[in-house]
Amino acid sequence: MRFGSWEYLVEVQRRTNSDEKYRELAKEEHDTYTLVLEPEPAKGVQEKIVVGFRVDGGQISEIWEGERPTDFTLSGPYGVWVDILVGRLGANAAFVMRKLKIRGNFLKLLKGADSTQRWLEILRTIPTEFEGVYARDNLPGREA
Amino acid sequence: MLAAVFRGAGRIELAELPDPVPGAGEVLLRVKACGICGSDVGAYKTGMYEPGIVIGHEIVAEVMEVGPEVEGWAPGDRVTVNGVIPCGRCSFCRHGRSSLCEEVLMPGVNVNGGMATHMKAPAKGLHRLPDSVDDHAGCLVDPLSNVLHGVRRSRFRPGDRALVLGGGPIGLLTVQCLKLAGARAVYLSEPSPTRRRAGEFAGADAVFDPLAENLYLRIDELTGGEGVDFVFECAGVPATLREAPMLVRKGGQVVVLGICEEPVESDFMTVVLNEVEILGSYCGPEEYPAAITYLARGQVNAGAIISHVIPLEELVPKGFEALAAPAPEPVKVVVEMPAR
Repeated sequence: MRFGSWEYLVEVQRRTNSDEKYRELAKEEHDTYTLVLEPEPAKGVQEKIVVGFRVDGGQISEIWEGERPTDFTLSGPYGVWVDILVGRLGANAAFVMRKLKIRGNFLKLLKGADSTQRWLEILRTIPTEFEGVYARDNLPGREA
Repeated sequence: MLAAVFRGAGRIELAELPDPVPGAGEVLLRVKACGICGSDVGAYKTGMYEPGIVIGHEIVAEVMEVGPEVEGWAPGDRVTVNGVIPCGRCSFCRHGRSSLCEEVLMPGVNVNGGMATHMKAPAKGLHRLPDSVDDHAGCLVDPLSNVLHGVRRSRFRPGDRALVLGGGPIGLLTVQCLKLAGARAVYLSEPSPTRRRAGEFAGADAVFDPLAENLYLRIDELTGGEGVDFVFECAGVPATLREAPMLVRKGGQVVVLGICEEPVESDFMTVVLNEVEILGSYCGPEEYPAAITYLARGQVNAGAIISHVIPLEELVPKGFEALAAPAPEPVKVVVEMPAR
């Protein structure tokens, strides 16, 4: 599945919502998110990808493509998202090192480190194809 | 005299009161028009004024009579009354910070104001209005002075970019003042479509609907990712106050002009990590002369702000009730007084 595509989002929602551990870790979270994957034409990533989702008590209750006002907006170059997803860069490190531009309650985001970590583990199980030079990092995935 | 008397939350009554008699250093005024301020609406919602006070501090009036020991004023002079009349003696006044005066008189807040056919006022609080500032525009001197005070207190310089949160009269005047001050771009965020249109009319370079658009992304797009140097918070509600420090660029300044009557939970981690400055600004008694000059020269467009003119008799239904609605249709309501 192409990283950031609608098909990918649907799979993210399905796998997240069937994960007991994530549900427990994120049971207090009720927030909306916008994720912006900025293009890197020099590296073969031509288009900006903007997706969003709503977390309600450990479940992703809604997903969408495009912009909406949300509690958190996280934006950064496509490659940084790839680094986070494949585990080369920790999510909290990306936040603190400003690899990602964070808009929203920063402390609240950092406090959700455990659920974020579990969520990334879930995402790594999805067979994922990256754009441009990042195709070298494609994830084979496995059934959750 | 006929006057609008504050009786408590949700209660403003028109009442016949004895005509005021000017004492030493005071004048008697025949009020021609008075604007409804956002703080008046706040008091109407929450009850924060003293019961029994005659409201109104955005006043245009004519001098009827001068009391003893008054010099420089005569019947027929057309004036506005400063919304903050400082004592001139306390340490704040002596250091040029009269908006922080410890013995301040505030017409319509702690002494009787101008939402009435007549009022008395200390002569030292009067400012002469030129003919080029009509009775309606004259009601904007007070809010414009508040805005000028805030802009002057800020680090704003020509070429800076700013985001204004809230398209009420203070927000719209802020847009105009920042443009006058040489802003590279001024953006306005406002949920009401009517007020967004007023924002365009006031000269905003772009207007956003915060309920439908992601402000962060819009600003990134318009500024090439640099962000805005200033956020002027003019809505006075928790949501905008909470978001303001996150909307300004690193090292930027948030100027708070809106008065919020509720506590606000905020993300001070972002304030620290991004070295964001937060600056409060209150009133602007020393900026009255400049505000009058801007209006007299037509540099501030009163027509973009004043949306409704109503008679005193309709003060509550068409003024306060309309402005206290969740998504108010009017922007600035000016009340005309009956001639007596």
